[in-house]
Parts: sequence; structure tokens; C-alpha cells
Amino acid sequence: MSLWKKSRVSDVVHVEGRMETERYIYTPGPVGVKVAEALMEGRIMGVKCGNKLYIPAKTYCPDHSEGELVEVKGPWIVKSYTIIYEDMYGAKLDKPVVIALVGTEEAHGGLIHYVEVEPDKVKVGLKVEPVFRPKEERRGLITDVMFFKPVEHG
Amino acid sequence: MKSNIFVKDKVAIVGAGLTLFRRRLLETPRELAWEASREALSSAGLTLKDIDCIVVGSAPDAFDGIHMKGEYLADGSGGFNKPVVRVFVGGGTGVMVPVVAWWHVASGLCKTVLAVGEEKMSHAYPHPQGVFAYIWDPILERPLGPNLIWIFALEMRRYMHVCNASKEDIALVSVKNKRNALDHPAAQAAAKITVDDVLKSEVLVWPVQLLDISPVSDGAAALVLASESVARRVTDTPVWVEGIGFTLDNTHWYNRDLAYPRYLEYAARMAYKMAGIERPWKEIDVAEPYDPFDYKELHHIEGLMLARRCEAPKLLKEGYFDRSGELPTSPGGGLLGVGNPIAAAGVMKVAELFWQLRYEAGARQVKKPVHKAVANAWGDLMQAGTVVVLST
Repeated sequence: MSLWKKSRVSDVVHVEGRMETERYIYTPGPVGVKVAEALMEGRIMGVKCGNKLYIPAKTYCPDHSEGELVEVKGPWIVKSYTIIYEDMYGAKLDKPVVIALVGTEEAHGGLIHYVEVEPDKVKVGLKVEPVFRPKEERRGLITDVMFFKPVEHG
Repeated sequence: MKSNIFVKDKVAIVGAGLTLFRRRLLETPRELAWEASREALSSAGLTLKDIDCIVVGSAPDAFDGIHMKGEYLADGSGGFNKPVVRVFVGGGTGVMVPVVAWWHVASGLCKTVLAVGEEKMSHAYPHPQGVFAYIWDPILERPLGPNLIWIFALEMRRYMHVCNASKEDIALVSVKNKRNALDHPAAQAAAKITVDDVLKSEVLVWPVQLLDISPVSDGAAALVLASESVARRVTDTPVWVEGIGFTLDNTHWYNRDLAYPRYLEYAARMAYKMAGIERPWKEIDVAEPYDPFDYKELHHIEGLMLARRCEAPKLLKEGYFDRSGELPTSPGGGLLGVGNPIAAAGVMKVAELFWQLRYEAGARQVKKPVHKAVANAWGDLMQAGTVVVLST
């Protein structure tokens, strides 16, 4: 083996490479469109399979049957969480970010989302509620929910 | 290749399912996989609970635009709490899926396998062709700015030269397959066209023109494979997987025989030997040779030894490969007619033979009685051959 020891790329014989797929356009599917429309109306959807409720919403159930789209009304709780103090380059964030698995007591699964709370106040079981963007800013994306926040004396 | 391998269970296909093949489907890739698998399961009279193992096939991750696409697709394919594998040999994937499903069952490891092929090519912008821009050797080929059709243009031109075949001869494949697809409910590119239409279509990379080539597609296809004991219980008409084969030719296209698909002959010999077929040109009743391009069907007819070298164009002209002919090829419409969502397209070909051998192909059913069939797919860096031989 031999190492490439030159310090500048221009000093070695080389071929430039470029990935020519500029971007991707992903479509959410027919059920995904309904979920997006619900988000724009301020509702979070799940999927009902028999007597079980799964979050997030999906077209089909674990047993492969077709699921029924239903609104998840809460109450929402933190099921697990982590706290982020640094960005990708190791620089300290101005304010730590709390990421949580947020679901309901009876539902399987949940959403991964931000929780707007002091890091020392977050705990498993914390009662939270979604905070939506103003209606005119919603685009049918998961970020239409800006974050979850603790329920005041819920 | 010795074929006296230890096979614990005979393997049958007992169900098949297909989504529509279309450009720009709204469904997510895993919804496509789910739809095809659900149809395959219900056609077999089974549910996911009856399935032991899952095989998922899909071509480059870059098409759907999701890295580790196999894991992503496993979800729609019923792949959790069960053994799951993802298969990937580029364009050859579609037929590699039933090959791998076969050894899952033949080994005795699984009694039932759900085998799914999926591709959603419309995610990539500006065009999925861009995905191929970096399959090239970065030192010898990329500096020339090649696109994928260069390979096919050089193969086609070489085939025309060696076999003295004309563009008109080759265009007949496109005419036949697009016509056959008129009877296929999932077809994307069915059409009544003439040789003249092909010759007047847009030139992509000479001699390859727009109507010589299969379309960009989204879609999924699925099969249910089962051991003999299960197959005999769930159906009166199992379709047996009698032989499987897969081979790589030289990876470098400049070192391959461009006029003859050696990768396929070797894979076919492996499959035929296992199936006890000595004279495929006499014994095979119906075939689905891989046809992403029209010349490629002729190539593959010869590689499958269904015709002598350079003989396919002449037989095609005589109607030998028509649905009413002596050896119908791509009776369902193939990739040129039904569409080409890469991995799903190969599975679709095997599904078509499954329906043909069960006389369930409706308007697409070939005229002659059928008993033995062969399908192939081709891909990777265009050096991979995959083959299955089916019989009733």
C-alpha cells in the first residue's frame, strides 16, 4: 500500500466526482396526505388496529391488515427523552434541546419531538401537550407541531 | 456446477400479487410493498401469520432515496418478528428474490416465504438516470461523462453487427411486448405501435431510441413460496420452482462479449441442470426473458438457449415468440409493456409465468398448453444473470 501524502489535491492525479441526483421528492402516500391535512387542522393522527392504537399513523397494521385512521387526543406523556447540549461540531448550544418520545398511556409508540422544558424538569411520565404553529404557517409536516410543552397543572 | 445438492423440501409458488406500475405513484415505497404482499398472500389464501420468513428485493437505495432501503421496506413487506433478508443484484434483483426465497424453503429453514420486490424511481430529481452517474469506474470511465445507455447502445450495435440484425428486426420486440401489455391491468406502457413508430421515436444514444427502452416506473410485486407439504395443502395447482441459477460475467463491460449474454447462459445452464432440462428450446413452453430494451429480449432468448445464436430476430419475425406462437416470450408485456420498477419488474415476470402455468392469465393466456417456463433478469453492472425455471 502507499499513502497519498501530498498536501494539496492539485498535486495528485485525480478525478472529480459528483453525485448527479440533485434532490429527492418524497410523497407521503394517500393515508399520509390525510395525516398531513389533519396536522394543518391541528390534529395528530394515529392508526387503530382492532382494539390497539399505534402512533404514528400508518396505512397498515402490524398484522398487515388495513388500519383505521383516528385522532390521538392525548393526554400526552413523555415516554423517554434525551438532552442535547452540543451541535454537530461540538460547539455548545445556547440552550439545551430536549428530544422525547411522546405518546399516550394506551397507545403503542409515539412521536419523536422537541419538548420545550428546562432540562432538569423533564422526566418519564411528564404530562405534555402539542403546540402548533399558527394556522397560516402549517404545511402538513411534522414540524407543524413546533414542540410539546408541559401541561400547566394538568 | 454440480446440481445434486441436498434439497430438503421441494419448493412451490402458491401466490402472486402486483401493484399498478406507474410513473409518480403517490404511495410510499413501503405502501407499495404492502399492497403487493397483501395481494400475494390473499391469492394464496394465507395471512402474514402463516409466513415464516421474508425476502425483500430492491435495487440501488439511491432510487427510492432511502439508505438501507431493505430495512425500510421490510416494514411494508411484513418483515418484523421474523427472519428477513434483503437481496440486491441491481436489475437482476427481481429474479434473485425468488432464487433466495427458494433456498430459504429448499433448505428446510422456512416452510413459507413472502418474497417482495419494490422500486420507486420517481423520487429522484431531476431524473433517476442521475443515480447511474456514479456506478462507473472513477478513473477509466467517469472522465468521459458516460450515461447508462452507452452500455446498451454498444451492446445493441455489436449484436446488430455480429448477427446481421436490423433496427427493424429489433423494433419488433417492442411492438410485440407493448401490444401484449394491452391486456395487462397493471401496465404502464401498453400501446399499439408499429416498427415505424419505434424508428421515428426520439434517439437517446444511437442506436437506442425512446421506444426501444422500458419506462421509469414505480411499483411492487410479491410472491408466496412454500414447501411441498404446505403447497399441497393450500392449493391444487402449485407451480414448482424446478431450478435456479445465478452468475456474474466479467465486471468490466469492455471485457465482456457484448453480442452474447454469457452471464445468462451460465446461470441458465445451472438452472436447467437442476430442473433436468436438457433441450430448453424444445422443453420450455413459455418464457419471460428480461426485456428492459427490445434487443435485450433477443439477447436473452439466445442466452436462455431458446434459440440459436443470432437466430432470435428471424424467429421473432415469423411470429414464433407471439402469444399464439410456438414459444411465447413476454406474453404479459414484459418490462417494455408493463413497466420497469427494477426489482418489482423481475418479480412481475415470475408472477406472469405463475399465472400462465395455472391458466389464470386471462386475456394474456398463451394459446398453447404450458407446463414448463423460464424467466431471467439481468443487472448489477450489467454482468449479473439470474434465472428460475418453473413447472406444473
